[in-house]
Amino acid sequence: MSAAGNQQLIERFRHQPAPLLPVLHAFHDRDGFLSEDALRAVSEGLKIPLADLFGTVTFYHHFSREPGGLNKPRVCTGNVCSLRGGNELLAALKSQGATAMPCSGRCDEPVPVLRGHETLVGTTPENLRASASPLPAPNPGGCEECIFTHIREPGRATLEGYKRTGGYEALTKAVREMSPAQLLAVVTESKLAGRGGAGFPTGVKWKAVADAAGNPKSVVCNADEGEPGCFKDRAIMDHDPHAMLEGMALAGFATGAARGFIYLRYEYPETFRILERAIAEAEAAGLLGANILGSAFSFKIHLRRGAGAYICGEEGSLLNSLEGKHPFPRNKPPYPVTHGFENLPTAVNNVETLASVPPIVRNGAAWYRGLGRNGHAGTKLISLSGDIQRPGNYEVPIGLPLQTLLHEWAGGPLSGRTIQAVTMAGLSGGFLAGDSLDCTLDEPSIRSKGSFLGAGGIIVFDDSRNMVAAAHDAMEFFAHESCGKCFPCRIGTQRLTERLNGEAGPRDLAAWTEEVRDIGAAMRATSACGLGMAAPFVTDSLLKFFPKQVENHVSAK
Amino acid sequence: MTEHSMNATAMERKLTMTLDGQPVGFSEGETIYQVAQRAQKNVPTLCYDERLEAFGACRLCVVEVEGVKAPVASCTTKVTPGMIVRSGSPTIEKYRKTLLELVVSENREVDVNPLRGFASQELTTLVDRYGARTGRFKGKKSGTSNKSDDNPFILRDYDLCISCYRCVRVCAEQEGDYAISMMNRGFSTQITTEFNGRLKDSDCTFCGQCVQTCPTGALADKKALRAADLPGEVTKTRTICPYCGVGCSVDLLTKGDRLVGVQPAMDGPANGGALCIKGQFAFDFVQHEDRLKKPLLRQADGSFKETDWDTALDIAAAGFRRALEQHGRRSIYGIASGRAPHEAAYSMQKFIRAGFGTHYIDNCSRA
Ligand SMILES: Cc1cc2nc3c(=O)[nH]c(=O)nc-3n(C[C@H](O)[C@H](O)[C@H](O)COP(=O)(O)O)c2cc1C
Ligand code: SF4
Ligand code: SF4
Ligand code: SF4
Ligand code: FES
Repeated sequence: MSAAGNQQLIERFRHQPAPLLPVLHAFHDRDGFLSEDALRAVSEGLKIPLADLFGTVTFYHHFSREPGGLNKPRVCTGNVCSLRGGNELLAALKSQGATAMPCSGRCDEPVPVLRGHETLVGTTPENLRASASPLPAPNPGGCEECIFTHIREPGRATLEGYKRTGGYEALTKAVREMSPAQLLAVVTESKLAGRGGAGFPTGVKWKAVADAAGNPKSVVCNADEGEPGCFKDRAIMDHDPHAMLEGMALAGFATGAARGFIYLRYEYPETFRILERAIAEAEAAGLLGANILGSAFSFKIHLRRGAGAYICGEEGSLLNSLEGKHPFPRNKPPYPVTHGFENLPTAVNNVETLASVPPIVRNGAAWYRGLGRNGHAGTKLISLSGDIQRPGNYEVPIGLPLQTLLHEWAGGPLSGRTIQAVTMAGLSGGFLAGDSLDCTLDEPSIRSKGSFLGAGGIIVFDDSRNMVAAAHDAMEFFAHESCGKCFPCRIGTQRLTERLNGEAGPRDLAAWTEEVRDIGAAMRATSACGLGMAAPFVTDSLLKFFPKQVENHVSAK
Repeated sequence: MTEHSMNATAMERKLTMTLDGQPVGFSEGETIYQVAQRAQKNVPTLCYDERLEAFGACRLCVVEVEGVKAPVASCTTKVTPGMIVRSGSPTIEKYRKTLLELVVSENREVDVNPLRGFASQELTTLVDRYGARTGRFKGKKSGTSNKSDDNPFILRDYDLCISCYRCVRVCAEQEGDYAISMMNRGFSTQITTEFNGRLKDSDCTFCGQCVQTCPTGALADKKALRAADLPGEVTKTRTICPYCGVGCSVDLLTKGDRLVGVQPAMDGPANGGALCIKGQFAFDFVQHEDRLKKPLLRQADGSFKETDWDTALDIAAAGFRRALEQHGRRSIYGIASGRAPHEAAYSMQKFIRAGFGTHYIDNCSRA
């Protein structure tokens, strides 16, 4: 019985592209863990060397290899949830075998607990309840939006709801009236840039894929959203999934790709089901799949689920993960636009980037550009969390003053408190504090303060917080998520964590500072990917803005 | 000169870059590291093995490229025409030293016995070159030795592992065995077999290539290490493995008149640093106490009796002659032993070919 079962699970995906993750999930779901027997069957069935497969499975923290592991609670002790009782909740659930997990993207509603394929939120074992993820509040600045315009409408997540206000009109227009080159021109002129962190111009990326030799091409929607303090992609996918699917199909049309993949983080199980349903609905309506709307254009979307690894949001690592390889980042160049999924041309784009495209096609490039301020084009979703009155997702015009967002839109600090610092780019941009908070939400301004906007996660720390502890939690995350491929990051994140929690390191302030700076400099300059390059923003900004707290920390040891 | 070859020369002439202020030529597809090596720049590496696909783990090989913001790993970066590269500015050298100090801080031991393996001195050599024994960056150590693996050949001393993945890559790319891989991630990374078991329960063929490419001695030659306490220096003698027809080049390691180990020749034309379990580990017979040192003569009752060489050779010669006379030259067939020296194998075929005029000669390991 078991053997036949194994065969069936493998057969279901064996002939699909990117079969390893769904096959592993199928076994994980069936057995509640990944047994030796399961791995032997998968190794045999997918022709992956067993040692390789075993090593790869151990890379993903949510694959359990103990019986019953799948259903043991995982409690978020991420940077926001640890301010909101995550550690206490973890302790209270220990008797149920609970383990800690890093930020699971519910910072607007702490504390999330993952049990099997269900997200619960609460602060005590008694008040844990299942709850749909929060909708963004109406735009507090009354600004015109691109992505959230219709998201608050009831039924928006269904095809019918989506179509009520222009959904799939852009795709219809593209396949009926436009050439791929015309679509590329609109996207390029809109100045839309990647919203996943790196800010690469989307039109340029798509053109590179369109021009690259090799077929079939792919569009990969990066829905890994692993950056702590980021939960904007979840909002789009939960409440407006068709916007992202339409964006993917448009990307496919523009680049000449006939297949798409969604790489969704493990921690969004409800989102997985929402997307599954949305894809099925769109396929049934002829909006995805073969010969879309009767045209010659076909585009098939495959939904893939990660298994707990922040690094799999890095595009090279993501592609390796999809391909069933050990998810180390890839050496660049070559870039995914020419050597992506299965070494063929691939556009990897963030959820927010893709969801911006349908309104751009409908309303025009000039309209989109005009949404920004001070000459910046478009809007950016900001996930705001931590010590702030109204945490949540906000769609801001690019160029909006940070202080406006914090104080006017989000109600400012909790009563009796002042804002001590905020993080940028989730955690990857380190901290801004003091005068540096007087910046605008656009890359040039935030870079001039020594940080970057990135994916747009902002965590607020008020004056009651110990910033060395905050920096430690951030660095511990990077150490936990370092893939281990390159020396500077693998060892550096560990050493910086030890210095921030006092486990190791000099007791003399000058020596401590020199060690921390030297490690940071080597990491920034020599790391093989963005994780290791960005992690030292945390320590550098700590030293810059909070020298007194650092001094107290080092001398207290 | 044909038009085609003229074009090719013109093209080659155009392929130049600037390395530390000097123009140098390069060929299509070469990496910065390869060009820098040819120009004797002595760029440091720990994860590099020229036989393997460049991986970019250690980051010691970083160099500065004009117009590129962050330094690039020279091992994985291809040269483009006109590229301007600085291979070792003071800033870069400082990063390299920091990286080595970090590696020293995670490792339990930097100085290891050279008998551990061919590349085992790479780390200690670089650490000395950069004066990286500063004791900075103290903290947890990485890697855990596998003490339960009782195989007789390979010591899995991961206490000394620095996660360069050369072993995993050589096993996959050179040996094609995929017997080992990496488990966990980040600082908890650990080299493993399937289910973290023993090598002999895995697909390992005990070819020893992982041992010989390991830059720290974390993977070590257990057989060679038996001689760790013997007095004297290790001498290497280049020869060819006698076991089969491939002709792998090897270096025999001796201490005094004792054969203590074998290492593959990385520049061996037939093997490029590869060996099989026999060539790598099966040399104990040479000094085995059971080895025959005197000729034995079979007695009528089947037992053996020691004799001297003259007697033995006379009896053997008489036997060959009798066979030749009674049954003809095609009745004699020689099989040489793979455990005999090459000189013996040569003499043996000469004896058959010149002595009997046939090609009835073979070798036991012509497998
Ligand atoms: C460590 C690391 C993690 C990343 N995680 C994500 C992620 O979760 N989602 C995402 O869209 N991009 C992530 N990125 C950026 C991607 O590599 C890539 O730049 C992006 O998906 C491209 O899409 P875009 O151009 O639409 O932004 C990450 C990058 C790094 C270095
Ligand atoms: S920087 Fe960190 S995460 Fe990126 S490749 Fe290196 S070890 Fe992996
Ligand atoms: S001895 Fe050979 S087969 Fe065995 S693990 Fe090492 S490289 Fe692989
Ligand atoms: S065992 Fe040796 S070769 Fe393998 S990763 Fe460790 S240091 Fe590198
Ligand atoms: S040799 Fe280039 S990174 Fe190690």
